[in-house]
Amino acid sequence: MKKRVFAAVVAAAMVVTAFTGCGSTGSSAGSDSKSEAKAEVPTEPFGDTVKYDPSVELNDGKDITVELWEWGSDELFQQIIDGYTAIHPNVTINLVDNPWEDYWTKLPLALDGNNGPAIFNVHNSYHENLINYMAPLDIPTEDLEADFNGVSAHVIDGKVYYIDYGMMTGSVYYNKDMWEKAGLTDDDIPKTWDEMIEVAKKLTIKDGDKIVQAGLNFNDDFHQNYLLGLNYQLGENLFKEDGVTPNVNSDAMKKVMQMLVDMYDVDGIGSKDFGEKAADSFGQGQSAMVIQWGHYYNTLKTTWSNIDFGVFEIPTFDGEPYAYNRYNGESTFGVNKNAPADQQAVAQDFVKYFLANDDAQIAFNLAMSTFPAKKSLADNEKILENPSLKVLSEHIDHYIWPGPMPATVETSLKKAGEDVFFNGVDIDTALDEAEANITKDMKNSTFKSVENLYEYAK
Amino acid sequence: MFKKTNPLQSKSEIILRNIVVLAMVIFFTVFLIVPIGIAFAGSFHEWNPLSGTYRFLGLENYKEVFTSALFGKSMLNTVIFSAVVIFFRVGLGLGIAYAIYSTLIKYKSFFRAVYYMPVVTPMVAVAFVWKFMYNPQIGTINQIFGLDVNWLMNPKTALLAIMIMTIWKDFGYAVVMYMAGLYSLPTDALEAAKVDGANAWQTFRYITLPLLKPMTLFVIITSIISYLQAYVQILIMTEGGPGTATYLASYIIYDEAFVKYNFGYASALSFVLFVITAVFTWLSFRVSGTED
Repeated sequence: MKKRVFAAVVAAAMVVTAFTGCGSTGSSAGSDSKSEAKAEVPTEPFGDTVKYDPSVELNDGKDITVELWEWGSDELFQQIIDGYTAIHPNVTINLVDNPWEDYWTKLPLALDGNNGPAIFNVHNSYHENLINYMAPLDIPTEDLEADFNGVSAHVIDGKVYYIDYGMMTGSVYYNKDMWEKAGLTDDDIPKTWDEMIEVAKKLTIKDGDKIVQAGLNFNDDFHQNYLLGLNYQLGENLFKEDGVTPNVNSDAMKKVMQMLVDMYDVDGIGSKDFGEKAADSFGQGQSAMVIQWGHYYNTLKTTWSNIDFGVFEIPTFDGEPYAYNRYNGESTFGVNKNAPADQQAVAQDFVKYFLANDDAQIAFNLAMSTFPAKKSLADNEKILENPSLKVLSEHIDHYIWPGPMPATVETSLKKAGEDVFFNGVDIDTALDEAEANITKDMKNSTFKSVENLYEYAK
Repeated sequence: MFKKTNPLQSKSEIILRNIVVLAMVIFFTVFLIVPIGIAFAGSFHEWNPLSGTYRFLGLENYKEVFTSALFGKSMLNTVIFSAVVIFFRVGLGLGIAYAIYSTLIKYKSFFRAVYYMPVVTPMVAVAFVWKFMYNPQIGTINQIFGLDVNWLMNPKTALLAIMIMTIWKDFGYAVVMYMAGLYSLPTDALEAAKVDGANAWQTFRYITLPLLKPMTLFVIITSIISYLQAYVQILIMTEGGPGTATYLASYIIYDEAFVKYNFGYASALSFVLFVITAVFTWLSFRVSGTED
C-alpha cells in the first residue's frame, strides 16, 4: 500500500514535469514516453491509525483553489501537492514560497485578513504569533498520539493545532580525512566528554601557539548546541517546576559553560578566535569536529560536498544521562481559521493526507534530516540510511523538547557566552544576567515548558 | 515704481499650488504623522502586532527605558561612535576637499567621484565586505598589517573596527559638501587676504574656515541625525556583540521590535531617541551660535 502511494506521488510528479517540458520546448521522445505514464491514484484508505480515504470527494467535486505558504523547500512541497491533487483533480493548491525572513512578518498579517493562505507551514519558534490564527486539527488526539511521538506536548485545552513530523537535534560531525591522518579509527569514537576531549587533542594541529586545525569548534553556536541541551545530561531542566521560570543560572549550566571554557583555554582543542563560525569552519576544512543539528547533514552535502564526514551521537558525562540533548520538532502544517469554510475543509484534508502518507513523511524527514515522529517509521530502511538519523535511533526517546521557547532564551545565553569568552565576565555573573534578561523578556509571554511531559521525567 | 502683482498670476497656478500642497500634506500625514502617532500611542502599551497583543501599560515602558543599564550603555556607545565618526568625517572631508580644491590638483572630478563612490554603495554591501576583511584567519587587514586580531569579537576593537568602516564609507559625503562650499566662497575675501599678505594657513584659518561654518554645521547636524540612527553595520558585523559591547541605541530598537516583537517598548525607545536627537541638534546650533 505504501509503495502504491509513493508510486502515485512520483507518477503525478512525472506527469507534471512532462507537461511542463512539452509546454516549453515541444515534444520529444523522452517527454512523450513520460506523458504516457499514467498516475496511479490510490483508491483504498491508507495510514496507520490516522487513515486517509482517497475515495471521499472534496467540495462536492466542484473546483476549488487554496494557497499553501512555506519557506525555502518548494520542490518538496510541490511533490506532496502533486500527489494530493492527483487524487483530487478538482483541487488546485497554489504554492507560495517566501524567504524565511519575510515569512514571519507577512504570514501573521495575511492570516489576520480575509485572504490569508488556507494552509501554511509552521515553525514552532513562532508559535505565539501563529496560534491565534490556527484552527484545531480535525483528527482525534488519541489517533495522533497512537501514530506520532510528542503529541501530548502540543495539546492546548484538549485540542491539537499542529504536531511534529520530525525531531531534530545535535550530533557530532567529524572530518574523516583528518580523523584518519590523526591515526584514529572507528574504535576511537568517543562516548564521554573526557574521551571527546582526548580525541580532539589528537585532531588539533598547531603552529607554535597558533591553531592551524581545531580539534573541536563551537564558535557562534555554543548556546544552541551545548548550553541549551547538555544541562539535560546533568539532570536539570531549562525551566523550573512551574514551567515558566528560567533555570539557566543552574549548576548544570555552569558546569557546561566551564567545560567549554576549559576545552579552549586548558585543553587547547580550539580557540574563540579560530574559525568565526563552527559550521563554516568545518565546511572549509579548518576544524575536525563540530556539533550541529540535523539540517547540517544536508548543508554539508550541498554546500561543502568535498568534505568527507562521519556522524556520531553526542557524548555524555557519565554514559547514562537523564536525557542526551534537547530536540526541536519540525512542525506539520497549520490550518487558517479565518479562511472560508470550504478552503478550511481542503486544508484539514490535506493535513490528514500528509500525516497518513508514509512516503511523504519519509521524504520530508530526509529532506530536513529529522528523525520521524511517526512511530512506525523509526526503523524504516530509508531513514536509517541517513547517518545523521541512524545515530539517533537508539536513544531517540531520551531527548527532551522544552516547548516553543521564546527567542530570548537563545539570544540571552549567546550574550552570556560571549561575555564569558570575549568580555572577561565570570560565569556566575554572565548566567545570572542571562537569567534576569530571560525573566524580563518573558514576563508577558504565554510560554509554558513541556519538559514535564518527557517520558522519563523525574 | 513697480506694479504690485499677485504672486499667483492665474487660476491654473492656484490650482496647481493647491494640488501640490495637498499631495504633500497627504503624503506626510499618511507616511509620517499617522505612523508617528500610532507609535507614540503604542509606546504606552504592551504591543505585539503579530500576536495582536495591545494592552495599556501607562508609563511602564518609559520607566524601563530610563532604568535599563543596556540602554545607558548603548547611549554611551552611540555618543562615542557618533563623536568619533563625525570628527573624522568632518576632518577628512574638509582636508581632502581643500586638497582637491587647490590649484595643485588636476582631475578634480575624478577624485571627487572616487571619494564619493563608497557613499553611494549600500551599507549592507560595504558592511559584508569589511566583515570579511576583518576576519581573523583570512581577512586582508590582518594579512596586510601582519596582525593576529579578532577585530569584531574583541570588545576593545569591535566598536573601533565598525567606526573605521563607517568613516571610510561616509567621509566622501563631507568631501562633496565642502567642495560645494569652497566653490561658492566669495573670491573678493580671499583676494583681499592675499593682498594683505596672509599666508596659506592664515587664509584657511581666518577666512576659509569661518566662511565654511554653515556647511560645517550642516554636515555635523545631518551626521548626528544619521549616526544616532545607525544600526545596519552593527546588525551585519557584530549583532551587538561580543555580548552587548557594540550595542547602539538604534540597534536596541531593532532588536526589541523585530527580534522580540516588543513594539511597545521599542516605540518608547524610539521617542526617547527622538528627543535626544532633537537636543543634540539644538545644542549644535547653540554651540555654533547660529540658533536663529
